[in-house]
Amino acid sequence: MNATAIIAPAELCSTTSRQWKERITKDLTEQAQEISIDLSKTRFIDSSGLGVLLSLNKTLRAKGGVLKLLNPSSAVAQLIELTRLHRVFEIVHA
Amino acid sequence: MTYLSQPTEGLRIEFPATLEAAREAVCEIIGWLESHHLDRDECGTWELVLAEATTNAVTHSSSEQTLQIEATCSAAHTQIRITDHSEGFEWPEEACLPEDDENEHGRGLFIIQSLTDHCSYLRGRGKNVLDLQRERKTAPPPVEDLATTLDLMTAEVSSCYETLANIFSLCAEAARDVSPEELASNWLRQLLEISGADFLALRMLTPDGALLEDIANAARLSKAGNEAELVEVNHSQPTTRSLSIPFINLNRADLIESRAVTLRQDQWFDGSSDFHQDDPLSHWSTSISGVAHPLEIGGEVIGVLTVGVFCDHWEPKARDINVVRSLGDFLGTLLHSLRRRDDANHSRLIKRELQIAADIQRSLLPDELPQSATLQCAGHLTTAGEVGGDFMDGIALADGGRLFVIADVMGKGVPAALFATAFRSLLHSHLDLAAQPCELMKCLNTSLFAELDRAEMFITVELAWISADGFTLRTCNAGHGPLLLTDGIQVSEIGADGPPLGISIDEAYTHQEVSLKGVTHLLLHTDGLSDSTLPEDSGLSRDRLHRWLINTSVEGIDAWSSRDTLRQMHHDHQDNARAQDDATFVVLARENALLSPPRNQTLTHASR
Repeated sequence: MNATAIIAPAELCSTTSRQWKERITKDLTEQAQEISIDLSKTRFIDSSGLGVLLSLNKTLRAKGGVLKLLNPSSAVAQLIELTRLHRVFEIVHA
Repeated sequence: MTYLSQPTEGLRIEFPATLEAAREAVCEIIGWLESHHLDRDECGTWELVLAEATTNAVTHSSSEQTLQIEATCSAAHTQIRITDHSEGFEWPEEACLPEDDENEHGRGLFIIQSLTDHCSYLRGRGKNVLDLQRERKTAPPPVEDLATTLDLMTAEVSSCYETLANIFSLCAEAARDVSPEELASNWLRQLLEISGADFLALRMLTPDGALLEDIANAARLSKAGNEAELVEVNHSQPTTRSLSIPFINLNRADLIESRAVTLRQDQWFDGSSDFHQDDPLSHWSTSISGVAHPLEIGGEVIGVLTVGVFCDHWEPKARDINVVRSLGDFLGTLLHSLRRRDDANHSRLIKRELQIAADIQRSLLPDELPQSATLQCAGHLTTAGEVGGDFMDGIALADGGRLFVIADVMGKGVPAALFATAFRSLLHSHLDLAAQPCELMKCLNTSLFAELDRAEMFITVELAWISADGFTLRTCNAGHGPLLLTDGIQVSEIGADGPPLGISIDEAYTHQEVSLKGVTHLLLHTDGLSDSTLPEDSGLSRDRLHRWLINTSVEGIDAWSSRDTLRQMHHDHQDNARAQDDATFVVLARENALLSPPRNQTLTHASR
């Protein structure tokens, strides 16, 4: 499987998420089947950031791929839990 | 972005309705909340809520419009209002998550409602207000009581001033001619009054650093109401209570004051402390508490000041402890300097006294020893220290006879010099008895006995009278070494034994009469010249002295050359034996002396 790892920014919010999504979407190859988003450096995320992650997940799954979220901080993990998106994302704690 | 600051109650920020400006405003609000002691988790929650709320407000506004955030913070709540000027939207009673988990939108209101305790949206004409509230999870620190702080600062400044004033006063008192102990006592009493303590104890290290010496104490021995009786306890004013233990050993780690000095740390004690029965502090009272504070100067511990009260528990004010420590340290330093000054003065005084005694001793010696055509004499006196107790004299008598005297007053210094002075005066006032040395000796003993006995001192004396024709010698000995004489063949020791002057008032001395026919040289000397206990080859033994005397006779050496030779022998012996002792001797040469003596070298005096 063709896997790609991407490090998410420190803040993934309304002012940064759209630009970040455009950048990684452009960088992703058609062959990428597994993308790991490293959230260990991400201090803050809001619903906009979650929306971008959901969008990426949907896009990748449509191609038969998988999106994994690596090592989210406790604050980020709590938000994912609050919004019940842990049922959507595959979360990996290394 | 416009800041309408309300420094203590809240913060209001007005900003353009853009995502970037909104983000910047949220960060400002979070920084303000942090400055109001909200913890990291609370600030993180507010950051998320405000991000969602401002994003909504921006989304519904045009970029030309402005938004406002107003934040207020009390001890119990944090309240934030976001005002926009859009047409607004319907705020749901209860926001829900999207039915489709994978929907990318529709979670903002849910997050806001979930993370706030109160949330209301007031939609008006051209103005909408979102009111958000949360209880504080962390209480803010107590508000500073400015009046109390001011009182504490005033007390601190006051104690500093008081300490400084006392230091000036202490310096002024130290400049007077006051003993360190007196100074310490005066100051402990004053320190007791301003420190709020019930007792103070000062100990200083002894010069060898092994013991802690009790210098002074001060205590309130009784209390009646608010009036306390101040009683000072020190060496010069002992009280009925035996509080003072003069010295305690620094090695006693079980004694609190020793421990404070050894560890160089304050040692606190109270009613729960286990006092050793030898601990001087336990003698103050059955219930005491306080602190033993080591005193240092330039990194060197010099003593310990203990301050305490007569109760099991004590919480002194910081101001009181500061005063005690500051003044204690200064007092310790001052005492240390005073003691060194006193030691130096004492040393100078002793040196001066010894110098006076040496001057007295020199004044007692005759300028020259009497010479004649048939009897040469030369003497020498060596003092090992500043002054010794040796005495010599050579007197030309009215009938043409000679009296030679060698004496040794027990001890050194001024007392020995004073007795030597008295001895000389008596001797010269009774020269009519010179031809009868035993009578002269008895007279000297009778006259000096009372003073010598009172001072527990004594004098050894050798009197040698030689007749005018030079053929008869009468000698009397009071605890002194024997007189030596030689004819070039053998050495004879002449000395009728009698006790030193000052031992027995009724002593009847005797003298020996010897014909000097054939005798060439005589030697009168003190014990310091030779030591009969020395081995033969180790120095100036008595046998060696005998051999020297015979050799001097055989070679026909005159008196002063003999004196110089013997002086050199004694000098060399002292160096070899690494010993120092007074030595006094007189050499007499008769008949075969061919050379006249130099007029002013008949007596020499040397100090080692």
